[in-house]
Amino acid sequence: MKVITKFACQLGAEFALNADLTVNKDDRYFLLNKALLKVAQKDFYYAGVYLGKVKNGKFFPSFNLLKVLAEGEANKVVVKKKAAWLFICGRDIFRKGILVTHGSRKKGSHTLVLNEFDECLGFGRIVCSLDGTAKDEVIVKNISDIGDFLRREN
Amino acid sequence: MSGKQFFVDRYRQLGWEFNDFQPRQAIRINVINAKGKNLEERLQTLGFQLEKIPFLETGYWVRKAKVSVGATGEYLSGLYSIQEAAAQIPATLFTDLKGRTVLDACAAPGGKTVQLADLMGNTGVIVALDVKKRRLAALSNHLERCHVANVVVYHLDARHTSRLKLKFDMVLLDAPCSGNFATDSHWFERRTLNDVKRNAKLQRELLAEAVTCLSDDGEVVYSTCSLEPEENEANIDWAVKHLNLQTEKVDCYGQEGLTEFFGSRLDVSVKRSRRIWPGGTQGFFVCKLKKREEKQ
Repeated sequence: MKVITKFACQLGAEFALNADLTVNKDDRYFLLNKALLKVAQKDFYYAGVYLGKVKNGKFFPSFNLLKVLAEGEANKVVVKKKAAWLFICGRDIFRKGILVTHGSRKKGSHTLVLNEFDECLGFGRIVCSLDGTAKDEVIVKNISDIGDFLRREN
Repeated sequence: MSGKQFFVDRYRQLGWEFNDFQPRQAIRINVINAKGKNLEERLQTLGFQLEKIPFLETGYWVRKAKVSVGATGEYLSGLYSIQEAAAQIPATLFTDLKGRTVLDACAAPGGKTVQLADLMGNTGVIVALDVKKRRLAALSNHLERCHVANVVVYHLDARHTSRLKLKFDMVLLDAPCSGNFATDSHWFERRTLNDVKRNAKLQRELLAEAVTCLSDDGEVVYSTCSLEPEENEANIDWAVKHLNLQTEKVDCYGQEGLTEFFGSRLDVSVKRSRRIWPGGTQGFFVCKLKKREEKQ
């Protein structure tokens, strides 16, 4: 569970995880509710809310987890329509694509990326302070985006 | 016992004239995720021309789209799913899904599982099974994309559901079937009557197991996308006669089920099922069943 709270922390978010309802299955983490916990047997393949997986010692968050974190206080950048589309296509965020920022603006911080409707599209790393002025500068390096659902199918 | 002419002749005998139909692309709004999001307006802005499907509450046909329907931010955020119109019918036939324990017996790739979760408001529990492990990845992706929270998935042949030692209020049995030509351009070359018979046998085994795991006042919705009566009305007739089930009246799109085919007479109650010939949708069959009420 520590990997999840640690990841949330990197995004400037607090995430209180109920250990009794969190299940680690082959390094994949699931958050169950009480009703699910009653019926879920140890050989399940998927259950409740998928939170993410650990691979080679690194935590890969699910988009469910990112959505939950985006609903609370966290580092966030809200981006314009075109930037949102490009981000989903795996591209980085330029300064000119940003509408609003919340939380850390420092280089090296991780931040959630949201569209103009406050829907979480993924997350990235701030590679250049958000306080700079150059418009054509990559500001957020894409780490993971919801376009991954399409890439997984190929 | 195979080939296009063989099947086309069968359909004619069943009262339907073959026409080579391509089903229209349809989407279903995920109500929970799309609440307050002005989704229709957003899709129009993206160049979608939508047409409300008259017999579905949350279904739309896509008349025109400037971008791929399965590659928009709205789709990837789980605001809607791509689901053929007739395939949206079965999940809507249950009486009241909220807070129930539901079995989705042959769940992958998960379109109906997500629809059930949406209808349940993410309450209760859905147990989703599939026998093919590689299809579970698609199911899991679908659940994650649509932020579904009330499903537990097992890699399990639904003929062994009893192993879970659970009783279900509702069972959706969207059975593996022969499919139909409207969704498979090589269907006539691939299928023989023997395939149909083999599938019908498997479907009966699935139905029998579904009943074993059904609570006394539970409901089963049986569906296939096959046009062949052996996989549809004949199985319902068999279930009525051998599994102590009764058919339930449903108010949905489609024609009454056949009660006679190729010289076989079926129980008259089979007409309560719904047969959908390819036309506005792909070919489909659906029937709602309950355990027979014992007479005092």
